Amino acid sequence: MRLELDSVGLRYGPVTALSDVTLTVATGTTAAVIGANGAGKSSLLRAIAGLEPLAAGRIVADGADLARLDTEARIRLGIALSPEGRRLFPEMSAADNLRAGAFTRRAGPAVRRDLDRVYTLFPRLAERRASLARNLSGGEQQMCAIGRAVMSEPQLLLLDEPSLGLAPKVVGDMARAIATIAASGVTVLLAEQNSRLALSLAQTGHVFEAGRLARSGPAAALLNDGDVLRAYLGEEVASPPAGPIPAVPLPL
Amino acid sequence: MFQQFLVIMALSAAIYMLLALGFTLIFGVMRVVNFAHGEFVMLGAYALYVVQDVLGVGYAAALPLAALVAGLVGVVCERLVFRRFVGDEIGSMIVALALAVTLKGAVTAVFGTDGPSIARPISGVVTLGGAVIPKDQLFAAAVALVLVALTHRLLVATRLGLAMRAVAQDAEAARLQGMRPWTTYPAAFAVGCALAGFAGALTAPIYGAAPDMGDAALMKAFVVVVLGGLGSIPGALIAALLLGALDAGISILFDPTLAALASFGAVIAVLLFRPSGILGRA
Repeated sequence: MRLELDSVGLRYGPVTALSDVTLTVATGTTAAVIGANGAGKSSLLRAIAGLEPLAAGRIVADGADLARLDTEARIRLGIALSPEGRRLFPEMSAADNLRAGAFTRRAGPAVRRDLDRVYTLFPRLAERRASLARNLSGGEQQMCAIGRAVMSEPQLLLLDEPSLGLAPKVVGDMARAIATIAASGVTVLLAEQNSRLALSLAQTGHVFEAGRLARSGPAAALLNDGDVLRAYLGEEVASPPAGPIPAVPLPL
Repeated sequence: MFQQFLVIMALSAAIYMLLALGFTLIFGVMRVVNFAHGEFVMLGAYALYVVQDVLGVGYAAALPLAALVAGLVGVVCERLVFRRFVGDEIGSMIVALALAVTLKGAVTAVFGTDGPSIARPISGVVTLGGAVIPKDQLFAAAVALVLVALTHRLLVATRLGLAMRAVAQDAEAARLQGMRPWTTYPAAFAVGCALAGFAGALTAPIYGAAPDMGDAALMKAFVVVVLGGLGSIPGALIAALLLGALDAGISILFDPTLAALASFGAVIAVLLFRPSGILGRA
């Protein structure tokens, strides 16, 4: 699914969360949305999912303006959001959370195949499928949240901070899983504070600063840009690093 | 005497479960405290009277029809009133109290203050291991248990049930799965009110019907639900058994009027030690 944002603005009462955001994500690519806490990353994803009304501009998916579609209709169109804080159904088993993800689909072999895929992607989740979501570890919950989003068979997958609060080893597993999902042809918009991780998974990167799009460009170029690293990745750069630094080994 | 205790406990517990299930389902899904729940029990009883004794339909058909009437009135109330109070526990409580008075007044205006005489379609007793059980009470309890089991199936094994549980736990996350809270709410309300209607239609031939019969029904439902933890269905089932045991024990040993007193004593005692109820979360 091709996603276009045209001069998008978003406000929470008197507070401006996004202003004049224009960007395009090409079909089948992964785009990273990076920036500090409060830069507007979550607001952007929530606006695309229809959870926040726009103050200005428009959001277009595969040529269709989303303005008149509510969240439930956008899900049916093929958009899925794994939200900030995971937002699993705490009193349901992991398996029922995944079933909830497939709510808009007719039960059948295709859904069962996707369920198997999620369990292959996250073997740990398969072991824990009968546990209540609130009893899962942070990493397992994140796996379940991404799995739930994938179960709707999305064409555009919005991931909000999938690495937040996870142990480094689990972050690596998560990155491999996201790369696998992206390789299947899904368009992915990945919002992350872990900019290095997000840029290493993406083809393009968009840097947000106080609700504005500060820079856009190829992910590899942003990764090698000393200014970006200093200003947005929170890193001290003595000398420009040579070549992209992979955050995790990816099976690509 | 112990057999009699078990029988009274089981018979009351089954009806308490049915009374409490609809109340806790509506609260769990909508965060609406439906203090008019007892009036839906009363509506079920009066609908049974109209369908069975006025229109002359047999009990087997009149029973589900009466529940249907209560469920439909529930949907209308949800559309007109309760959907404006989703998530507003205090506001919903007040508007539900007003609705309770309104429904009670409407039924009194139509049928008068005295209860109608309702035919008893089932009579006789069975003797089971030394305990004497009236057949009509046995039937009511059995149907109540079947309805509890069916509601459980609805919640765990159907798409609608999945949506109800999801909306109850996180309405926004449910929308992100494509579930529509605004169609799930009336469905939950209809099921909850239909269960109340069943309770009224099952007990009306045994205990009769009256415009104020909802007060006692609400109190029983409320005691069970608060004991079990608001919104917790397993908690309500356990609490219904406890309340049934308490009722049976005190009725046999002392006096049935003391049983009501004891059930509220039990609520106070449980809440002192577990403020969120037996299975409730703080």
